[in-house]
Amino acid sequence: MKILFFGQLVEMIGAKELLIEDMTDIDTLKAFLHQQFPLLAQSKYIIAVDQEMISDNRKLENHNIVALMPPFSGG
Amino acid sequence: MKERTPKNIFVQGAISSAFIADSIQKHSTKTDIGGHSIFLGQVRADEIEGKKVVAIEYTAYEEMALQKMHEIRETVFAEYPLTCMHVYHSLGKVAAGEICLFVFTSSAHRKAATEACSVLVERIKAELPVWGAEILEDETHQWKVNQ
Repeated sequence: MKILFFGQLVEMIGAKELLIEDMTDIDTLKAFLHQQFPLLAQSKYIIAVDQEMISDNRKLENHNIVALMPPFSGG
Repeated sequence: MKERTPKNIFVQGAISSAFIADSIQKHSTKTDIGGHSIFLGQVRADEIEGKKVVAIEYTAYEEMALQKMHEIRETVFAEYPLTCMHVYHSLGKVAAGEICLFVFTSSAHRKAATEACSVLVERIKAELPVWGAEILEDETHQWKVNQ
């Protein structure tokens, strides 16, 4: 599945997007990313799945697009 | 209410005063309007640890921001008797002193326009997935935090 990063997270990860397959749910994906990118674990971000913001764990399929978004600072 | 399709709100770089003037001018044919309210966000040259902000570089999750803006637009239209609503937000680099956000509401009587304009600005800042990097005079940057 496609994982999108925004704002300061792009610099932290070193990419705007990553392709990661077979993550069963959000918690699994987060654990994987936090292990790969320890700084991410200390960062504040919210998650959107297919552009819908979520706060709880949920199942993922390979066709989902997951976005990790730091606090918004538009305007 | 008429269905409105998501509009593109993003413009590359600063929003020019000519664009704003033109946008105002276009409303002269809509003679049911009695009042306009305009908010202009301008890039402030803050000083951060002795270094001046020279520009803000904006990025966004564009698809999601446009969808979210569409929802905001619908709810604000449902709540206030507005004739018109226009929102423009910059992407890319906007220098200090330039305009990065233009919110323009119009109504028959002033109250709807001023209140809707204020609600829109607050919701845009809080709910749109847009990020600003403050570029400092030594070319380093730090990420903007909305208050």
